[in-house]
Amino acid sequence: MIAQLKAELLKVRSTRTTLGLFAGMIGLTLLIVLLTGLLTHHDGLTSRHDQRGLFAPGAVALIFSGLAGLLLVTSEYRYGTIRPTFLFTPRRADVLSAKLTAGLLAGLVFGAVSVGLAVGIGSLILSARGIGSALSGGDFALIVFGGLAGIALLGAFGVGLGAILRNQVGAVIALLSWEFVVNSLLFGLAPSVGRFMPTPAADALMGLKTTHLLPPAAGGAVLLAWTAVLALAGLALTLRRDVT
Amino acid sequence: MTAVVAESLTKRFGSVLAVDDLSFTLEPGTITGFLGPNGAGKTTTLRMLLGLAAPTSGRSLVLGKPYAELERAALSVGAVLEATDFHPGRSGRDHLRTLGRAVGLPDSRADDVLRAVELHEAGKRRVKGYSLGMRQRLGLAGALLGDPELLILDEPANGLDPEGVRWLRDFLRAFASQGRTVLVSSHVLAEVAQTVDQVLIITHGRLVVESSLPQLTSRVGGTVRVRTPNPDQLQAALRREHLDATCDHQTLLVRGADTDRVGEIAFAAGVPIHELLTEGSSLEDIFLELTSEPSS
Repeated sequence: MIAQLKAELLKVRSTRTTLGLFAGMIGLTLLIVLLTGLLTHHDGLTSRHDQRGLFAPGAVALIFSGLAGLLLVTSEYRYGTIRPTFLFTPRRADVLSAKLTAGLLAGLVFGAVSVGLAVGIGSLILSARGIGSALSGGDFALIVFGGLAGIALLGAFGVGLGAILRNQVGAVIALLSWEFVVNSLLFGLAPSVGRFMPTPAADALMGLKTTHLLPPAAGGAVLLAWTAVLALAGLALTLRRDVT
Repeated sequence: MTAVVAESLTKRFGSVLAVDDLSFTLEPGTITGFLGPNGAGKTTTLRMLLGLAAPTSGRSLVLGKPYAELERAALSVGAVLEATDFHPGRSGRDHLRTLGRAVGLPDSRADDVLRAVELHEAGKRRVKGYSLGMRQRLGLAGALLGDPELLILDEPANGLDPEGVRWLRDFLRAFASQGRTVLVSSHVLAEVAQTVDQVLIITHGRLVVESSLPQLTSRVGGTVRVRTPNPDQLQAALRREHLDATCDHQTLLVRGADTDRVGEIAFAAGVPIHELLTEGSSLEDIFLELTSEPSS
């Protein structure tokens, strides 16, 4: 299991895929924090709610972390490396649990960098514009630790979804349309159901207080449940299906 | 211990019976050609042997156990199913390192096997720049990483140039001469005829021939080509042995005998021989004959 995890982490580091996603996430996070911080009117940045929105990196890091996890599995099917992988480790549960762990670890790195960037640069912008902080220590703790946990979980979530779908293009489309279409539509039209979707749950975990969002602990539990369900379904299918 | 045992292996995809009640055993130290036309069920069989696909019924043992139950399988079995199973953006050496890590092998093993397949100079480059021949050899390097005693290769000669085919042949010979076992599939008999000790021929998922290569040749009666300065004398000697031979200048084509027999007849008749060989095409004819119609 440890040996397999080392193999999976080397797979992540030895292509440019994850690095590219990482760079994309940094770029978009910076863009959003800078645009929000610099272009928003002074009065729109003073409240606790406004500043939480500025510091919480939100959907960008979640999506990139989910994509990174997704590609850990689907690129193996796309390029056929799943065959040598399973030939070397025929106990497929070992492979999938190593990938889930690698997805969590990659997500943790994504989370640390994106939360660090958003909080760091957001704070610099606020102080440069002479706006005092409205956030308590507890608010910061939720943004930092809730953000880290949520973004890391999305990495494992992506691994589970990838193991279920296997087809890389299909899985990427599924993840993006889930995020941008299903999540938004459902949260917009039926928030009492939509708030149980992964992204609103992750937002809740970071302490965001948009109307209808769950409390942080409940959001965390819902996101964990989503991740566990996808991981277990992915595992069951991986054990059962033939590799062609 | 037998290297591979297949017991009534059967695989059904919907209404298609891809592999039908296939049984065979491979002894250690042999090279076996696993032959059949495309779509005969060779790859499906190999997948089942290697635990990638579950048989509908039957079972297989590799080195005494189902593949998935082997402890650190890659240290005793090396296999290549597709020549192209690499991430194009990963270097050949990194590909081998990721595999090696999974079974606790040091990175130096990756360098060892890269040298063994003569890829050490290209090892640091991304696989997308590799030729098909280089990819074939990188796949082989992955199979060799764990220093296995059994090698299973699916169509390893596909896309190789003649030099590559010869390299592969020498390599497999050297591998088997150390007492190790090779199972190599091909849809072209001639590709492996000079390499293998025995052949398994399947068509429509069923085993139609399991024999040594000389047996196969003699059984169906191949054509022996013999060149001699006294063709008439030899033809007469062959006739006395009830063998039919056609004559073209100084060359006789003999049906229904192997080279041993023709050579002995010529020796007994005192006819000098300048050339004596089994016609390559005749082997291919045998193969086509065996595989073109399902045995009933």
